Amino acid sequence: MSQIKLQNITKTYKIGEETLVAVQDVSLDIQSGDFISIIGHSGSGKTTLLSLIGGITTPTTGKIYFDDIDLSAMGSDGLSEYRSRKIGFMFQFASLLPMLTIKENLLLPTMFVPDPERTTALKLADKAAELLSLVGLGDKINAFPNQLSGGQQRRVAIARSFMNDPKLILADEPTGDLDEDTEQDMINFFKSMNRTEGITFVMVTHNSELASQTQRRLRMHQGSLQTL
Amino acid sequence: MSERFTLSSLAIRNLRRRPLRTAILVAALTLMVASLIFALSFVTRVNASIQLTSERLGADLLIVPTGARGAAEDILVESHARSFYMDKSIIERVRKVAGIDKLSHQTYLISLIGMCCSVPESMIVAFNQETDFVVKPWLKNKLGRNLQKGEAIVGEESAFNISLGLVETETQLFGNPFKMVGVLDKTGSGLDTAIFISDENIEDIIKNSDAKIKADQISVIFAKIKKGADAYKVMSEIENNIVEVDVVMRKDIGKSLLSALSDIRKIFYFTMILSTILSLFLVWAIFTAIANERIREVGIMRALGAKEGHVVKLFLFEVLVLGAIGSIAGIIAGTSVSVLLAKNFSILKDLPVDLGLMSRMIIAAAGLLFGTGICIFGALSPLQRLKKLEPLIAIKQE
Repeated sequence: MSQIKLQNITKTYKIGEETLVAVQDVSLDIQSGDFISIIGHSGSGKTTLLSLIGGITTPTTGKIYFDDIDLSAMGSDGLSEYRSRKIGFMFQFASLLPMLTIKENLLLPTMFVPDPERTTALKLADKAAELLSLVGLGDKINAFPNQLSGGQQRRVAIARSFMNDPKLILADEPTGDLDEDTEQDMINFFKSMNRTEGITFVMVTHNSELASQTQRRLRMHQGSLQTL
Repeated sequence: MSERFTLSSLAIRNLRRRPLRTAILVAALTLMVASLIFALSFVTRVNASIQLTSERLGADLLIVPTGARGAAEDILVESHARSFYMDKSIIERVRKVAGIDKLSHQTYLISLIGMCCSVPESMIVAFNQETDFVVKPWLKNKLGRNLQKGEAIVGEESAFNISLGLVETETQLFGNPFKMVGVLDKTGSGLDTAIFISDENIEDIIKNSDAKIKADQISVIFAKIKKGADAYKVMSEIENNIVEVDVVMRKDIGKSLLSALSDIRKIFYFTMILSTILSLFLVWAIFTAIANERIREVGIMRALGAKEGHVVKLFLFEVLVLGAIGSIAGIIAGTSVSVLLAKNFSILKDLPVDLGLMSRMIIAAAGLLFGTGICIFGALSPLQRLKKLEPLIAIKQE
């Protein structure tokens, strides 16, 4: 059984009188535990495809299933719960809230999990500290985002995406601001989480070198998906 | 021990991000709620005082010499000493009018008995003890007997002056010695500075002083009408048959004052409406700005699992905190201003009814509801727009 199944997905945007096709007739099966990379030029539809899988936008036509559950039948709250329980997002831009400390930024996704399922505050704080250590920022737990470099902020966002024990990580150019060594460290961290925790990864990147380290490589071109 | 990070702590952080903007909004709400509290306190006190004076008067009709209607109201509603007289025989003519149940009369004399400049001119009110239903209901403690010759009951303010030694407990009224034996409740009228004596004393007063009154004169007749009788008809009957008198209905007592006050009330209401519109606009503008600058953050939160309800709760919490702080500050400011101005506004200073704790609490609750309500109402439209944004669109906003 596929963990993610995309059936003839098309996503269009209306810009004035014109219709822009971001994703065109894409079908894709992703198995649990896959590590997939998607490469492609800017504007080829990679981010839109990740957003569709993550349920932060809806397809114009076609169906998306997660564990055989149709996302289009979920409604707004259902999709929020899906994102909260199943998905970890890594955005391609700085996505930390500036008024929160690094620790609080990590705790942010845990606020949206229904109460009975939330672990104690102490356990959550320990988990945040552990994840920060794993991305090499254990000493920055009480800092604010503006006290960190772009690369450090990116690593905090990476750590945050694991806070709710996701089944699927959607990473949009997650290593964009990182130097080569740190970039490789992060990819090794992803591989380790993929291997040990069974987390599925779908990673968008411009870096062919990084893409070559994943199990499956896909290319987006003008909204269409091709297998490499 | 680690504390749970919650939506409320996030909301408080948000409010601290722009302290000047938060302070401006709180200050605007404070002013609006303060003006509401002041206006409500003022109007409530005035209305309650006039109602109390009218109710405790005990009479349905007030019969005074022709042309003395205004002077009578001056005495009863405002604190001005006035004297006017008519022939005592009018009592019997009034009694014959259909619908009259009880009558009691009083005679007003003005005497300067203060010992220093701050003690006002006092009314000496001679009343008929056998028929009285006007003075005795105001007695703080029942006397249990009729006033003797040379004894007096004093109004609330006169009693205060006596306690300060500004008026003697044994004093000369029109050359006659008098002893104060009872105190009335505060009426908020000229009766507060009055001294009440039995009308048996009038003969002696006329004999021993140069008071300009004759033995067969009175100032006012208080009338109670029979149950079921039409007060307006009785009043018309009296005025048509006895040309020497004017009649004031109880419900009309204080009408001229109320009419003057209604203009003040209109100004208050107009100011309130303006400040409400301004506050609404300010809240809307500020929350629209807040919503616009947080679109991406909301998109990120939605992507991380926040439901529309979480976004609503977060913003409502901020709105409620702002509304509550502004309203509470406004309640404190408005109450303080109304208490302070009550000492300086002559119209408020002389009112018999002060606002009790319950009334003040009700007004404060109204202020709190109003202040927070304005905040919620002003924030609704930007909040609605924000919560409905698709997360991806929100995230892409710069």
